[in-house]
Amino acid sequence: MYLVQDLYEQHGKYLSLELIAGRQGLSRRIQKPEVHRPGLSLTGFFKNFVHARLLIFGRNEIDFVRQLDEKTRFQRLQRILTSSTPAVIVTNLRIPKELIETCEKKSIPLFRGKATATSLLSRITFLLIEEFSPSVTLHGTLVELFGVGVLIQGESSVGKSEAALGLIERGHRLISDDVVKVKKKEGCLIGSGPELTRHLMEIRGIGIINVAHLYGAVCVRPDKEIDLVIKLEEWDDQHFYDRVGLDDKFIDILDVSTPYHILPVKPGRDVVLLVETIALNHRLKGMGYNSAKEFNAKLLETIAQKRGKKKIGS
Amino acid sequence: MAVKLSCKVKVKNALGLHTRPAAVIVKMLQPLKSSVYFTYKNETINARSIMSILMLAARKNSQIVITTEGEDAELAMKVMVRAFDEQFGEK
Repeated sequence: MYLVQDLYEQHGKYLSLELIAGRQGLSRRIQKPEVHRPGLSLTGFFKNFVHARLLIFGRNEIDFVRQLDEKTRFQRLQRILTSSTPAVIVTNLRIPKELIETCEKKSIPLFRGKATATSLLSRITFLLIEEFSPSVTLHGTLVELFGVGVLIQGESSVGKSEAALGLIERGHRLISDDVVKVKKKEGCLIGSGPELTRHLMEIRGIGIINVAHLYGAVCVRPDKEIDLVIKLEEWDDQHFYDRVGLDDKFIDILDVSTPYHILPVKPGRDVVLLVETIALNHRLKGMGYNSAKEFNAKLLETIAQKRGKKKIGS
Repeated sequence: MAVKLSCKVKVKNALGLHTRPAAVIVKMLQPLKSSVYFTYKNETINARSIMSILMLAARKNSQIVITTEGEDAELAMKVMVRAFDEQFGEK
């Protein structure tokens, strides 16, 4: 639940908001990540008007309200400002007393912002979308290799952190170890680490280490889009692991289908090298080349040619 | 048979869930087979991971929901509830 108060406290300075009226309404809930300039509604056209949106009054709106006669002014404002209106923001202008009175009476927080209406609209929309985007906390380690964001998952003590440490040592970057906060933004998954444990790792037998201090700023970054998921698993002789790579597997995270690899671990298998190879192969696929499929196509062609020769020969 | 249990506990030690209690929790869970999760402020984490426990930064008197799932879920729950009760040996 996101309240007007949260927006005011977290971003009030950034948006340079000043509370003018309706302090009691700070606990109002923002239900939609939408911001609206009520231009048309002020003229009396209320069809499709969504009440749960945050309202911004720019110069146009204020000028229009001013030239209305007092009675209509009150009526229109009463109609627009309802119990579900989260808050009203007016740009750096003199605010009509009717607006202040209505907001005060209905306990709707009224702010004055320093920026222009367009700037406020885009900035607040961006902040709200960020706040409303679905998120999940996952157990795993997020690293960036060759520009590919790889989420390494697996049971405790399978060697996720050790693999990540090996990758860092080879010049790749750590985003977060053990806990990854994933947010869905415009169809992409963005992973980041919690503020408190950012760039810290726990390695069995050593303890907690700070990677940013040990290896320098070059080997960490705050967030990264998750491009693929690798699950490390203890080697199981009964399980048949992918031997050709013709079929791509996917896993759903927040309804985003993400390429997924199961990587069996056993002594003698260099996990770091294998993870690097998967990431590189992913890049190659992104460039339109699929090693397994290309090879299979070539093989099919060779077989077809042989058949042709046989026919001619027989 | 896999059982799923959940129980609400309170952090009782003065310093909250800091590094030493986290290490105690992880150590206690090591011989057990069940999956154990802590939920605090809408965040659910794996209790076998020290970093995850530390991330919660739970202070004294915060309420944590423990969920255990697996063949020895009951034992795991008993061990966890006792650990919270005994303040992880930090009295």
